[in-house]
Amino acid sequence: MPDIAIQTQKLTRRFGNLTAVDGIDLQVTAGQFFGFLGPNGAGKSTTIKILTGLLAPTSGSMQLLGMDFAANPVDVKRQIGVVPEGMGLFERLTGAEYLKFVGRMYSLDRATTKRRSEELLEFMQLADRPKTLIADYSHGMQKKLALAAAVIHGPRILFLDEPFEGVDALAAGALKALLARMTERGTTIFLTSHVLEIVERLCSHVAIIHKGRLVAQGSLEELRAGIAGEAGSKTTLEQIFLSIVGQDGTERPQLEELSWLT
Amino acid sequence: MADVTQSVSVFEQIRLVAGLRWLILRNSLRKKNNRLDLIGLIFTGVFSGILVAGLCFAFYAGGYYFVSRGRPERIALLFWGIFLFWQLFPVFVAGFGANFEFRTLLRFPLRLHVFYAIGLAYGFADFSALASVCWLLAMTAGATAAKPGVLPAMLLIVGVFMLLNVTIERLIGSWLERLLSRRRTRELFLGLFVISMVSLNFIAPLTQRYGASARPVFLRLMPYFAWLPPSLAGHALAAMVRLQPAAFLLSFALLLLYLILFSGLLWRRFAAQYRGEELSETAAPARAATRTIQVKHDGPDRLSLLSPQVAAIVRKEFRYLTRNSFAYLSLLLPPMLILIFSMNLGAWHLSRGGKAVSPDLFFPGMMAYLILILMAPAYNSFAYEGRGIQTYFTAPLRFRDVLLGKNLLLLSVLSLEIVLSMAMLLWRVGLPTARMFVATCAAIIFTVVGQLTIANWSSITFPRKMEFGKMHGQRQSGMAVLVAFGAQILMGTISATILFTGNWTGNLWLPAEAFIFLAAAAVAGYFASLDALTKLAENKKESLIEALCR
Repeated sequence: MPDIAIQTQKLTRRFGNLTAVDGIDLQVTAGQFFGFLGPNGAGKSTTIKILTGLLAPTSGSMQLLGMDFAANPVDVKRQIGVVPEGMGLFERLTGAEYLKFVGRMYSLDRATTKRRSEELLEFMQLADRPKTLIADYSHGMQKKLALAAAVIHGPRILFLDEPFEGVDALAAGALKALLARMTERGTTIFLTSHVLEIVERLCSHVAIIHKGRLVAQGSLEELRAGIAGEAGSKTTLEQIFLSIVGQDGTERPQLEELSWLT
Repeated sequence: MADVTQSVSVFEQIRLVAGLRWLILRNSLRKKNNRLDLIGLIFTGVFSGILVAGLCFAFYAGGYYFVSRGRPERIALLFWGIFLFWQLFPVFVAGFGANFEFRTLLRFPLRLHVFYAIGLAYGFADFSALASVCWLLAMTAGATAAKPGVLPAMLLIVGVFMLLNVTIERLIGSWLERLLSRRRTRELFLGLFVISMVSLNFIAPLTQRYGASARPVFLRLMPYFAWLPPSLAGHALAAMVRLQPAAFLLSFALLLLYLILFSGLLWRRFAAQYRGEELSETAAPARAATRTIQVKHDGPDRLSLLSPQVAAIVRKEFRYLTRNSFAYLSLLLPPMLILIFSMNLGAWHLSRGGKAVSPDLFFPGMMAYLILILMAPAYNSFAYEGRGIQTYFTAPLRFRDVLLGKNLLLLSVLSLEIVLSMAMLLWRVGLPTARMFVATCAAIIFTVVGQLTIANWSSITFPRKMEFGKMHGQRQSGMAVLVAFGAQILMGTISATILFTGNWTGNLWLPAEAFIFLAAAAVAGYFASLDALTKLAENKKESLIEALCR
């Protein structure tokens, strides 16, 4: 039986009357490149926040790498890397200073931290601005730095909330290659993205959340097979997504109301 | 083709902008804090209105007095007062940032002359401009009451003077906007502003010492002021009162020349903005790095006694301190304040034939004042973390390490400040007696460490995001301020009571002994509180992140 990297049972999070995450049971096998999809406001970021310790669940439980998060938060956090929503950067540090700070927070020794920081800055093409503060980075540069910080300690699970948003095509290509290499070496990657083509190209397994509930989970092949009446293996992730999420018709744009534009 | 069939008039566009501002204000009132702000604004408005109205009477009386008593050239003084207020007041509030960016209007299809007209109209909506216009009208009324024949000339002069002032004010504002768009200059500007405000306290002692010798220099400079707009406005009016048309025309022409000159300069500035002048300092996407990695050895770790996490936070806090020009410059304040107080109090005592202030009184008093200033930021110590606060909750560390790191840096800064201030005291006033020195040092430990425990609780419970180099909208949480106020009053009362108990009982070493005991208790309480605060931070992490990532 394969190792389970992430497992949740009836994970629920309520904000007053709103149930943002409604009893989801996730299972992600170690080494998977896992795409977590859903329309705006579906509960993707809330789920990632719960899985990374930024938000406490209202009820339910979760285990990461077999460890109960609530019982061993520090041990779990040592094994995971996160690019949270908004990136969580200290904007008054330079890129190198931030990476060194994060490396030390994960208890890497100074020499290792320094070496890895420099290699990551080179890889992310951020090394030629050593004195520039993060506050002065472009959005794409900040995204690359956040990703560098998330991997500096060699995490076993990497959580990425919209990692390619604002990143140029060249850098995105390099990042995708890096992430693919990490999964080959056994790292589990849990990714959310609105760009379904990216998820389709990178991820082997996908879960779809809609209005807080998990409405589909499995490999792309399994999801394709689950859609009756479609063109089997030629079905794109976008078609799968729309057929699952758009079923109730609420997401369909009312084009006839904008006739003056068309 | 777009469905726009006709262009909108200048007045309609001004009306639209006014409407937009109203909507921004109305929508902001949906939040409770903003409603409280509005109440504060109304109170401020009423007080400002009373001030403006009071000064209207003064300007009316001034205008009437100078014209009726045959000294119309003195009216230039009134023009100078208005000119300085109109120009300097907006500069002083510029550091607080504009809450509506006028330049954002450029996304709409405005012509340059419309943009210019809206810019000027906007200038008249400032408090300084409204107040100045009221005062100018009051002055006109006063002069007219004294001599009705001057009304047309007065209206002409005042009209040009208003236009000139609003033009200069917009020009300065526009240049400031360009200057303050750079983060570094914005922070430096703010820091220098605070320092210059504090430096005003030096005026009294410096005037006492150097006032007589500075007077001739000032008198030599006076003729040059005659060629500046407020003096020209005053001369033009005086010439009209004395029926000297040639002199009036000369002064008025020069005033008009100033208006044309500054209008030209403002037009150039607005044209640059209109063409899309880039003020942002956001970096362009990075080009590919070709530099090779240079191996550089950091040397031994100076913070090796601390855990890696605490050391990392101390380093990060130090970097944040050095990059916050405002905080950096404010470190100069305590020694500076001691210098000011020692100069003022020394002068006060000597002028009454008394001795200089007693070091036994001055030393604890100044240290209390110093702690009052330096401890204030500790009550909202996560204010500048921004989104970085998330790192503390995703990294494998206990929150006590974060608190320890932050507190350690604050203690280091405090120690440095106290040493600097002691050096200043030694130079200016002299050292206190040994018992008072020991008692004060122990009291410092007691009050600082005791406050740190409360301040850590306050920082976690009442967080409020703040931004570097900005003061507009940079309010502390009301509760944090209240807690800080209460804690400082409590500590101050305990300390003062103990200090005086020594004098009352005749046991002069009693305060020192009591403070040593209290300091030890405060240190023990501080370490005992860290685990409880870690639990509290875990419970409050959502509100903490929400407040700081906004």
